[in-house]
Parts: sequence; C-alpha cells; structure tokens
Amino acid sequence: MAEEQKKKLCRFWIWALSSVAFRLILISFPGNLNLSARPEVSTPLTSIRRLAEGYWLKQASMSPYAGSMYHGSPLLLSVLGPLTVQRIKGQPSHLLCSLVFVIADILSAMLLRGIGQKLQMAYGLNARLLGFLKSSRDKVILPCGDIAALVYLWNPFTIVSCVGLSTSPIENLAVILALFGAVTRRVPLAAFGLVIATHLSLYPATLTIPIIFLLGYGLDAPPIKLFLQTRSVENEETSTSTVSKQAKLKQTTHIPFLWKTVAHFLFWVLLWSLYVLVLCALSLNKYGGLEEMFKRTYGFILSIEDLSPNIGVFWYFFAEVFDFFRNFFLIVFHVNILFMLLPLAIRLKHRPCFLAFIYLAISSILKSYPSVGDSALYLSLWALFVNELIDMKFSFFLFCGYLGISLLSPVMHNLWIWRGTGNANFYFGNAIGYACFQIVFVVESVSAMLNHDRALKRSNSNHR
Amino acid sequence: MAAVNRDNEEEVKTDDGSPKIKPRPIVRLGIFLIAHSPVFSVVFSAAGVLALLLLPLLAKNTYISENALMPGSARSMLSNRDVSDGSKLVKDIKNFRLNHEGQGVEVQKLIGKYMSDMGAEVSYQKFHPEGNQFHPLHFFSGPDSYTLLENVSCASYGVNVAGIIRAPRGDGKESIVLVTPYDFINGGDYEDLSLGIVSSLFSLLSRVTWLSKDIIWLVADSRYGDYRPVAAWLTEYHSPSFKVSDLLKCDEQNTADNFRRAGTMAAALVLKVDGRSEKFEDTLSIYAEASNGQMPNLDLINVVNYLAVHRQGFYVKVEKVVSLLSSSWLKIFGEIFEAVGKLAHMLNPDWNFGIPAADYLEGSATLASSLYSQALGIPTGPHGAFRDYQVDAITLKVSPRFPPDSKTRQHDFFLRGARLLEGTIRSVNNLLEKFHQSFFLYMLTSPSKFISVGVYMIAFALLVAPLPMVAASLYIDGCKSLTNSTDNPTENFKSWKWLDAAKQVFTLHLFGFIVTLLPYFICQVPGQHSPTNRSIMWGTTSSSLLLITFVTMPGCSPFSSRLHGTNWAILKSVTISAAFIGLCLMSIINFATAEIGALLLVPTCLMAQPIKPALRSRRLKSLLGAFCSIVLLTIGFPVMFFAISKGLLGEGLVGLSLGGEFWTWLESLWAWKSATYLYIGMVHLPCWLLCLCILFHPS
Repeated sequence: MAEEQKKKLCRFWIWALSSVAFRLILISFPGNLNLSARPEVSTPLTSIRRLAEGYWLKQASMSPYAGSMYHGSPLLLSVLGPLTVQRIKGQPSHLLCSLVFVIADILSAMLLRGIGQKLQMAYGLNARLLGFLKSSRDKVILPCGDIAALVYLWNPFTIVSCVGLSTSPIENLAVILALFGAVTRRVPLAAFGLVIATHLSLYPATLTIPIIFLLGYGLDAPPIKLFLQTRSVENEETSTSTVSKQAKLKQTTHIPFLWKTVAHFLFWVLLWSLYVLVLCALSLNKYGGLEEMFKRTYGFILSIEDLSPNIGVFWYFFAEVFDFFRNFFLIVFHVNILFMLLPLAIRLKHRPCFLAFIYLAISSILKSYPSVGDSALYLSLWALFVNELIDMKFSFFLFCGYLGISLLSPVMHNLWIWRGTGNANFYFGNAIGYACFQIVFVVESVSAMLNHDRALKRSNSNHR
Repeated sequence: MAAVNRDNEEEVKTDDGSPKIKPRPIVRLGIFLIAHSPVFSVVFSAAGVLALLLLPLLAKNTYISENALMPGSARSMLSNRDVSDGSKLVKDIKNFRLNHEGQGVEVQKLIGKYMSDMGAEVSYQKFHPEGNQFHPLHFFSGPDSYTLLENVSCASYGVNVAGIIRAPRGDGKESIVLVTPYDFINGGDYEDLSLGIVSSLFSLLSRVTWLSKDIIWLVADSRYGDYRPVAAWLTEYHSPSFKVSDLLKCDEQNTADNFRRAGTMAAALVLKVDGRSEKFEDTLSIYAEASNGQMPNLDLINVVNYLAVHRQGFYVKVEKVVSLLSSSWLKIFGEIFEAVGKLAHMLNPDWNFGIPAADYLEGSATLASSLYSQALGIPTGPHGAFRDYQVDAITLKVSPRFPPDSKTRQHDFFLRGARLLEGTIRSVNNLLEKFHQSFFLYMLTSPSKFISVGVYMIAFALLVAPLPMVAASLYIDGCKSLTNSTDNPTENFKSWKWLDAAKQVFTLHLFGFIVTLLPYFICQVPGQHSPTNRSIMWGTTSSSLLLITFVTMPGCSPFSSRLHGTNWAILKSVTISAAFIGLCLMSIINFATAEIGALLLVPTCLMAQPIKPALRSRRLKSLLGAFCSIVLLTIGFPVMFFAISKGLLGEGLVGLSLGGEFWTWLESLWAWKSATYLYIGMVHLPCWLLCLCILFHPS
C-alpha cells in the first residue's frame, strides 16, 4: 500500500515537472506561435503588451492609463513592468515575464494540491462518519488534490495563457491563494488573496461569500441533516477538522457559525484593502490618484468600453446596441451575475468550495472580457470534486464540445480577419457555442453535486 | 455541432431512465434516431452522395449583386489610336529582341520607357526566386514579411516592372491592378500579345477623366514561374522589409528607393495570352481558385463573364475534367435526372428543375474540376498571391483564334481584349467599398452558373450526420456492456469510461502530428536526396515511431494479446467523434477537402468493427461486413488512395517510384501552405490508424 502511494507520488511529480518542461520549451519560440496576439488568450485587461505600454508611459512620466491602452492594476505594473523591458541577448523578449508566469502556475498547482488534500481528508472523514466507509479498502477515494493540480498544469488553456503572456496566471494564483487560505484557516492569507484577486480583476469579489462560509462553517460536507439522522457515529478525535465538531454537536439542529473567525477575516480584508489602496495611491499620486485608477480599471470592466472581439458574448451585443439603451443593458448584463449569487449560496451553503467553483464558472461566462485563462481556473477547481462528481453526465459530450470550440475559434477568427470571407457572426457564433457549453457544464456539475447529496441521503436511510 | 448536442442530450436522458419525466418530442426524435442508427446512417450517407451528384442540377444562374458595378453601361472609349500604341510596343519589343539576343533587362527598360511616356510612374523591383520552404508553424499565419534569405547570389534574380497611373478623380488611396506575366528572356509571341492588350488599355487610361482608382500595371518577370514574382511584388507592396537586401548590390541599376505604391487594391486582373483557340471564336478561360480553396468575390467573375459574352463575344469557359465528359455512368445519371425532371414538369409545369443530360455532364465535369483544385489548395494562377492580402483577383487566359504573327487580326484582337479589360476596370472603378455583396464561398459549374455555400453544405452535412448518431449509440452500448461486465459496483465510474479510449485516440493524433512535422526535419538532413529516398526515410521513421508507441503504450496497440480495458464500442465512439470534429473543422477551412475526405473517412469509420468475432461467427453478413471494412481501410490509406487516383488518371505506379511521387505531391502541398496536408496528417491518418486498431481489436 505504502509502495503504491510512493509510486503514485513519484508519478505525480514526473507529470508536474514534465508540464513545466513543456512550458519552457514552448516559451523558447514565441514568435512562431504568436499566442499573445490571440483574442482568446489576451484580453485588454490581461495583455502583456498593454502592460509594457503602460509601463513605458509611466517611465515617460505620464499616466499609465493615458491613451486607453493599459487597464490593469498599478501594482502589477510596478512588479511586472521592469521585467518587460529587461532583455537577455539572444533570447526572446518577455522571457522573464514568461518565467514569472510559469512560476505562478507552479505555485497555483501546489496550492490546489493543498486544497485538494484537505478536501479529500474531509471527504473520507465524512464518509466514515456517515458509515459508508467501514474500512479504508471499501471505496477508493481519488486523490483529488493531485488530479486538480495536474489538470491545472496540463490543461491546454492554462498552458496557452501562460505561454501566451497574459497576466491571468497571476490572477488565478491570487484566487487560489484566497481559497487555500480559507481552506487551511489561515485568515490573513485568505483575506490577502481575496483582496489582491479583487484588485486585479474585480469579479473574484463574489468569492467573499464562499470564503465566509468556509471560515464560518468549515469545509465541504454533506448536508447537516444527514448527520442528525445518523445514530451511530464513531467518536473519532480529529481536533483540527470542523467536521468532528459537527459530529459532536449533532444533537443541536444546526452547526454553529464561527462569527469570531469571520469577523477576524473581515478585519483583515479591510486592512489589506487599505494597504493596497494606499500603495496604489502612492504609485499614482502624480497621475490622478485613486479616482483615475477606479475609473480606468473597474470603470473599464463595468462599462465595456473595448469592443474588440473576444470569446465572451458582450462585445458583439454592445457593438450593436443603440447608445440610448446602452446603460440599461449594462445594468441588465452585470446584474445577471449578482442575481445568481444568493440562490446558489442558499442551496449550496454546506459546500462552500464547490460554491466558489460555481461562482468562478458563472463569472467566467458573464465576464466582460473573458479569456481561456478563466476557464482554466474553474476547470481545475472542478477537478477538486472528482469524488463527488464521479457520476456527472454529459462528460464526453462536454469534452468534445470544449475541444471542438477551442479548435474552431482560431479558424473562425482566421476566416473573419485574415481571409475576409467570413464576418463577425462567424466568430460570435463560436462564442455563443462556447457559452452554451459552459452553461451546460455548470448546470451538470451542480445537478451532479445535488444528486450526490441525494444519493447519500437515500443510502443513509437504507442503512438504518 | 447542433446534431451532437441533440444526440448527447438524448443519450443522457436514456441513461437517466427516470419514468416521471416524459421526454420532449425533440428528445424522443433523437432517441429514435439513435436507436435506429444503422438504418439512418445508411440513409443519410446515401443521401449525402446523392446530394453531391445532384449539385449540378441545383446550380443557380449568376447575377450581379452589387448595383454600383453597372457593367457595360458606359460606351467604350478605346480608340484605334490606343490600339496602335499597343501594336507599336509589341513590334518594338520584337525588333529589340531580334537585335539584342538574351538581354532581359533592356526589354524591361523598354517597357518602362513606354509606361513613362504614357505618363505613368515607373518602378522596378528586384526579387529573388526563392524556393518554397516548409515551415510547420507558418500555416494560417498571415502573409509573412520576415522570410529574408541571408546570402543570395546575384546569379539569378528577376525584375518586375510596375507602372502607376494616378487617377484624376482619386485620392491615391485605392487602386486596381493589372498583371501581365512576361518572360523577358525567352517570352513567346503570345506573351507579347498580352503586353499589347494591356498597353493599349494603359494608353487609354492615361487620358481618361473618369478614373477614381489608380491603375497599376505590373509586368511580372515570369522566368521563375508566374506566381513567385507577383507574390514577391505584393510582399514588398504591403510589408516592405527595411533591411537592405543583397540583391540591390547586384546591379548598377538602383531600384531601392523608387518602389511606388497606390493604396489598397480593390481588384486585380491577371492577363495571359497563350496557345491558339480550338474553337472558332477567341476563348477566354477564367481561373479563380486561390490557396486553400479560397475564391474571389463572385461579382468579379460575373462582371468579366458578362462583358466577355455580351459585349466582346468571347467564348468563356472555366476548367473542367475532360475525362468525365465521356464517362458512361455519369451520363446515365444525367439521363435519369433529365427523365425525372421531364416527369416532374409533366406533373406540374412549375417544376423546372430538369436539365438536359449534356448540360449535366458539362456541369459535373466543371464542378469536379472546381472541387479538385479547391481541395488541392494550390492556387491555379498568379491571382492566388492576391487572395493572401484579401484582394479579389482572377486570371484571364485568352486564346486567340489566329496565329500570333497575323497583323490584321491582331488589331481586332487587341481592341476586343482591351475593351473587355476597360469595361471591367470601369465597373470596379465605380465601387465605393470593397467587394462584399456577392458570394465568397461558392463553386462554379459553368462560367454563368454557381452553387452557393448554403446548397453544397447540405451534401456535406448529410454525409457526416451519421457520425454523431453512431457515436452516441455506440457510447450507450459501450456504457451498458461495461456496467454489466464489471462485478465491482463500487468502482463504477460509468460516466468516465471513455477516458481510456480518449487517451488512445489522443496518442494516435499526437503521432499523426509528429508524422506531419517529420518532413521538415527530413528536409534538414544534409546532402542531396531523391524524393524516393526521402519518402523511404519518412516511412521508416514514422513506422518505427508507431512501433515505439505500440510497445510503450500497450493500450494503444491493436496487436496486444491481452484484453485491455478499452471496450471497442467506446473506442469507436471516440474515434468517430474525433473524425467528426476534424471533418467539421476542415469543412470550414476548405470545404472541398472536407467533402472528399468525408467520402473516404465516413464509410471507413462507420464500417470499422473487430474482425475476430466476424471470423469466429462465420455468418455471411458479418464476413461481408469485415470484408467491406478491410477494403475500405486499404483504400483509405493515403498512399494507396494516391496510387489509385493516379491509376484512374492513367499513370500506373508501382513500388518505390510511388513513394517518390507521393513525396513530391506532398511537397507541393506544403510548399503552397495547403491545409489539405494538415488534414491528411492530423485527421485522416490518425483516424485511419484508429480504424485499423478497431479492426484488429482483441474482443
């Protein structure tokens, strides 16, 4: 058994290292691949070219936001900007940035692995508490952390956005950092990740809800009712996990919400946001200050000023809509995300990590400037739940759909932009197809998760 | 995509089997289709082939879609004086060549002098006739400017001459291009005629007041082929390289800084005169296919066709496969369709879809040629270079009905040729936007009949429709048999059983990718090798790679004795899905390739099934099925198919020379950046291998 474990671990590291090697090979010919110019990979928010331009403007004592080129965070500018001008002779430009992105990817994968190990432990514990898992040989628990890390590292979307020099690996790292902090109950870390992620791309702000749930209720677990029904629970001592607390407190009708931790978390969020804002204000004090930053970053995201094609569905719509209705539709489109937050939070409050995955997937569909990097993030988070989602339907269909769409997208773009025989509808049709597949994916994941809970309940009642 | 969507929905609904929800009608339809997939796949494939044969019947008459063109509405202004200018140029060139044997540059200067006498700005451009190189990553990237050869010799280079007339009403932002390929060293008499026609026209255009687009006349140095000089000139025009080329030092004549430009090109016409017409009239052949089956806007062809037929009385034709005209089976089809059309007309006089059998034959021969040259992806003339820059261009090949030295006829010929070009230019001159009204995706069945994308896609859609259906039904079967066979209920990853098969499919596609890239490395092998040797190298490396794949990954091998995890039904389902995605992608890149590929690949994929149970059962039906799949697989092997199609054309090839021929053919494909090459390597070959795996599956 231990031998096998060791072998598996060895295999994991081989695959992880080979993915890094693969990236390094791809980085060495950027001119040929020309990925950084692809609309699927780099959006106005994540493109490194724009970042380099912003840095150049700043070096020339101008506002980095002048000319509507750069729309990212000023902090990212200070960190990555110097790397964009550094050239090593004989090497492709932006090599250092690529290396930073590779490192970000590795870190993300390791953090995902950490999250997965926690979730796996919780899954095993819960199963044992509910009495499904008498012995360890009874049912195989998949090492979801390893799987998620490998899915993240080998996902073509991740590789493409890493090699294609978009800043999404860093945004993804921040999101995963927040989740990791919440899962391992390192409150300041969670707050830091959340604040940075929100600062970089705004949409991760929705993750506040799952993180509060994670800190308040503990890790993903079957609904509390099941535990109440269970009579015979082995009293196992695992003080670190909140699940055992649930087991101990099974007489009460609900699990306690740890207000203190949450308050702690909110305090840290406040502290980190203040810190980030002060840093931003310092770096921009000559160029319009924070107001300018909010206008040029969040304002740019929310008002969808750039209508260049991407894999989302907004650009086409807002290129067509009359100016008179523009504000109305802006509100309608953005409220879409907000509408879904509450119902999902109520239904899935016992599974906060899964809730975070769903939020990220939804925001990647309804984002104003989505890229494949966002899909890479939610796809790897999805892999954290392989144990629960093992009976997910449509898997093959979805796989074929994602594959087909991602191959079709460059072809349609070529037809429209280079050959001139197609038109914008070709590319937009592809974007609609992509959105549809994503929606099917989210719906199927949620229903598979709910079915899993139902199955637990059914077998639990049979058990008795 | 929609088809898969629907089918898979059904598939899951049936998996679910919850009695409470009654499925919607569309779901029930899908279930019905999947349940009877063998019948429907036969029906759909047959319908697809039939629809392909019906295409000449469905062709519509062309019409001029853009109103601004107004062809033939203005009276021609070309006078005898202009024509005599043209004749003079031809005469001068002939005299010059008689006196100065083999002095190419001087002829160019002569032409340049003529141009500047007419008031045009003249520029000379030197280019190097570089060989086409295969670079695997340059497919689909836009035209590249960074292919500068490092050390070029002065021994061989060509010189293009370009003259520009500035439009009196224009702002220099738009232009129309006329190209005459001309071999300065040993150009024949017919080539002189093309210069004569264009110079007559040029003489007129330098005087007219209605021009609003600049006119560029490019005399391309066709010593190194027609295409290369035009492509070199276009590259310099659109994306100049700022490095100083070595070519400039080669000659005393300075061509560096006088390259002239005239804005975006609205259209381009390539004029060639060759051979004598077999017909009684002067013949005009239109060539339109550019790389990867791209076509110029149909309106351009319409205008030329309209003016040539109705104004100048040319006999207009497009290329056709001559051997099909005499094929008896096609004739039978034509007669059947004619009879059916007559019958329908008798039943209801409004039904007029029947065409005479002879027309049908002509139409299908033209369509076959159109399909063939689109599928090959190699441009049929210098106009192909323009398409890379989104400029609509066609090649006009005129064959006069008189011998080239007849002076009296020449005048009339110049007059009509130049008037045709004048009318076309006048129409294009009227355009306010670039060509966009008419079709870009079409196929011609005659110069005045076309099949639009909406019609020909039906044939393809019918042909590939069985693929998702059969994939879904096999997937369900595979899942069922798996759930029955596995005793361990806890280890029931029902929904993920396809992962193993997907791994195998992916491995073989990766193999196909590597095989596609191998020629690049084989070309790098030092030393001169004949195509045969190179093909042998390629064959051995690929087959050894395949062996390595099979040895290291026993799951992939068709010959492993032990029964491995993958169920053949699931493997086939994944294979078919991969083939479906590949074919659909290809149909968007290059329809003709996808159509021909689907004709080969769809039956192969559908028929493939393990041969062992068929042999064991010894039933006639299963033996027949196995035999069919073996035959289809044999034909489906690319080399084999190449040999067969060569054999049909009457060039029997055997043994190693076949390999050499095949290599040369592929080399031409990748040299022209044809997507067909990618299709063969990355879709056809892996799917063919997978079908082979299924055939020898140890089940």
